Amino acid sequence: MPARENILARIRAANKVANVTDVMDSSVADRLASPPISPLPKLDWDPEGQFKRRCHESASTLDEIAQIDELPLALTRYLSKNTLPTKLVCWPEFIDLPWSAEGIQIESRGAIGDDKVGLTGSYCAVAETGTLVLLSGQESHATTSLLPETHIAVIRRSRIVKTMEDAWQLIRGEVVSLPRQVSFISGPSRTADIEMTLVYGAHGPFRVHVIILDQ
Amino acid sequence: MELTSHQFKSVSSAKLKDVKLQKALYKAKDGFVVPRAKVVADLDNFEEIRQAAADVRDHGLAHLDVYLEEWEKQAQAAGTIVHWAESYEELNALVVKIAQDNQVKKIIKSKSMVGEETGLNQYVEGHGIEVKETDLGEYIIQQAGEHPSHIIAPATHKSKDDVADLFAEKHQRPRLDDAEKLTHEAREILRPHFLDADMGITGANFMIAETGSTVIVTNEGNGRMTTTMPRVHVAISSIEKCIPTLDDFALMMRLLPRSATGQVISNYVSMTTGPKRAKDNDGPVEFHVIILDVGRTRVLGSDLREALRCIRCGACMNHCPVYQNVGGHAYGWVYPGPIGSVLTPAYNGIENAIDLPNAATLCNQCGVVCPVKIPLPDLMRKLREKQYERNLKSSAEKWSLRLWAYLALRPKLYSIVTRIMARVGKLLGGDSRRINHMLFGGKDWTRHRDLPAPRGRTFRDIYLNRNKTTNR
Amino acid sequence: MRVGLFVTCVADLMRPSIGLAAVKLLERADCEVVFPENQTCCGQPAYNAGDRLTAQQLARKVISEFADVDYIVIPSGSCAGMIKTHYEELLSDLPEYRVKAQWLAARTYELTDFLVNVVDMDSFDTTFQGTIAYHDSCAGLRELNIKEQPRKLLSHLAHVDLKEMAGAEQCCGFGGTFSVKYGDISSRIVDLKCDDLEATEVDALVLGDLGCMLNIEGKLRRRGNHKTKVLHIAEVLTGLVGEETE
Repeated sequence: MPARENILARIRAANKVANVTDVMDSSVADRLASPPISPLPKLDWDPEGQFKRRCHESASTLDEIAQIDELPLALTRYLSKNTLPTKLVCWPEFIDLPWSAEGIQIESRGAIGDDKVGLTGSYCAVAETGTLVLLSGQESHATTSLLPETHIAVIRRSRIVKTMEDAWQLIRGEVVSLPRQVSFISGPSRTADIEMTLVYGAHGPFRVHVIILDQ
Repeated sequence: MELTSHQFKSVSSAKLKDVKLQKALYKAKDGFVVPRAKVVADLDNFEEIRQAAADVRDHGLAHLDVYLEEWEKQAQAAGTIVHWAESYEELNALVVKIAQDNQVKKIIKSKSMVGEETGLNQYVEGHGIEVKETDLGEYIIQQAGEHPSHIIAPATHKSKDDVADLFAEKHQRPRLDDAEKLTHEAREILRPHFLDADMGITGANFMIAETGSTVIVTNEGNGRMTTTMPRVHVAISSIEKCIPTLDDFALMMRLLPRSATGQVISNYVSMTTGPKRAKDNDGPVEFHVIILDVGRTRVLGSDLREALRCIRCGACMNHCPVYQNVGGHAYGWVYPGPIGSVLTPAYNGIENAIDLPNAATLCNQCGVVCPVKIPLPDLMRKLREKQYERNLKSSAEKWSLRLWAYLALRPKLYSIVTRIMARVGKLLGGDSRRINHMLFGGKDWTRHRDLPAPRGRTFRDIYLNRNKTTNR
Repeated sequence: MRVGLFVTCVADLMRPSIGLAAVKLLERADCEVVFPENQTCCGQPAYNAGDRLTAQQLARKVISEFADVDYIVIPSGSCAGMIKTHYEELLSDLPEYRVKAQWLAARTYELTDFLVNVVDMDSFDTTFQGTIAYHDSCAGLRELNIKEQPRKLLSHLAHVDLKEMAGAEQCCGFGGTFSVKYGDISSRIVDLKCDDLEATEVDALVLGDLGCMLNIEGKLRRRGNHKTKVLHIAEVLTGLVGEETE
């Protein structure tokens, strides 16, 4: 692989010529072994309040439930209020809830092009920016939050962390190795590529509905 | 991409007269500047954070070899196939080879400025493979057969009416006249391509050494589609995009969306580490990353190396009085605005982009908004110095400066000449006290504006005489 | 205290009233004003054109001319910015001058900065009255943090009413040789500045930099606006405006 060796050699030569002094105290090995946290902004809010505020700003809608059993009813409420289809695709963790009682047809599988509503959980959420953190995997299909026009996500209250740094801390502690994709989702898909006019539903969901679960 | 920076003067003059473009630029300026100011003010310690970001970038660059090796090790451990490319041709050929090896007929692409550098689309299409740009702005300019005029809003030079005409023609559908309908029509047209494309190409905003990941930051969701739906995913990036850790990435994300679009965070931040896992239900079977070095290592070893800190937010161009009035195409290459005025000559040769570092007022509106504190005016000045050293300056400019310097270094002569100039200037100004027609170099001033006339005497003359009088 | 006045080449040649006004202000603040007779140019045009050698020669000349003052005061943001923020880099390969450049930089003040932060001047003897807008020049604002200083000085004038204009911090498009090399771009930028100024409806635009002054005034007149005055802040603070200085 000559390109690789040539490039690395050129980098070393360039850094030698430039003769820069490293501004960091920690060495490369230390930085990788225990990554330092850079200065944070003032985080003088309660995480849940901030998360809700940011969700609202990024055009997500919000609901809260005390127990997971209440999810079918909460969904019915949301779907009928927005006159959305009652046929859903979801992550496996939700399939055993009493859906038929609410007249909701639900399937546990990855989404395909025709699915209109997708229901997912979330690994955690970042309050600072109102962001859902989803990890792809066998039990957490990436397509469910991507292809349907409506994405409904359940987040446990206890999993709302303050910052992205906190999310990494959580992941480092709980996840053996990073999944194929870590998705940070903050509201519905949007674009302003035509005359700076904000339009929702560019390629991803038109709507994101966040349900905070007490546990 | 073909370099046309040598036409800066003529193209920029034409752009100033393009009424439609001027309207679009005016809208874009307010659309970027106002929201950015709002969300930056929302960080109480913005200056501290941007200093930290500059430091992290400098540290990463100072140990770039080690971080890239670590990145590669982690990426390979996750199953990523890593390639390196030393030229545009090499990168393009690698992409085509991966496509051919996988019997790829259709590629969907999420915006990549590296891809613009290498002219990837044209190359791939030349090998009989279809490429669909999916970022709405990129899709628009691909349909129009143009180049991006902005690094994060590639079609910012186009009006809604332009897009309406273009879509009506290309989609063979009734003409639509509102941004929402046009956006949704593009969604409808592109959706089947997302579902049946064989390969996805994305750029990478960052590569994270700690985990061997690549990250793309988008608002539309096309990036997630491109990294998830096709069976092969190729990410193309360049060496300087590598940052050390996940926490360093978190730091960058506090700055990038704020500086770029005035958002607290972009809608989708998608971090990819390897291909589909054995039990995963979705994701590509193969994940390739191609790391490019064209020009980067040369800049790394030069006094322009701070330019490599760039995280491609576009704030410098959004705040540049020149860019705001001539738009991105005048700059004649991939990166417009102040960062382009540094990178274009740095990557393509100083002699091939003479105007760019000079076509700036050095007002530093770019430098103060840059989230990684690139001293852009200083870098442009360094390029001017290199032009001067290499005798690439126009002789008119050189000689007028020499004449000025000759006088300025000879105070006695200087005082006589300026005394005469003050007198003659006053006469030329006449009753109106302004000069509206000058000769030689001065005519470029008076072509556009008057020159307030001198008042007849120099300060030195008045002051020194006054003191003589009082001392007597 | 001994204050060296660096009047700048543009004020010297084009608007001597600015220099006279600066002297009046400094004397009013009980400064001993020194005017080194051999001063010419700070070297900025050469520096920005990439002619380092000439810029170094002129920088050394300035350094030697102001070796025996307590302060050097300059009625121009860009020339003060040149000395304060660029001389050290410019002379970095001449160790002996580098130290002198640091010494000089520490003593160099833009006029309004000096009046506010060194002598804390709060009363002025001026006949000027009217509504004004203030243009923040690029070098003053972004190299020297000159923002509140002129506004504070102007707030002491009973008959002056400051109205903030839109885009006050936006570059006027002068940029030294840029204004002639890229005349049509420069012209468009200053046109927008004039639009913002005229929309503010004031008697005068006040500023602290000479390049911007020539550019904006020249553009206003070419546009047929002969009404809005363009004045240096020193002229406003002293009433030494134009003719009577000759």
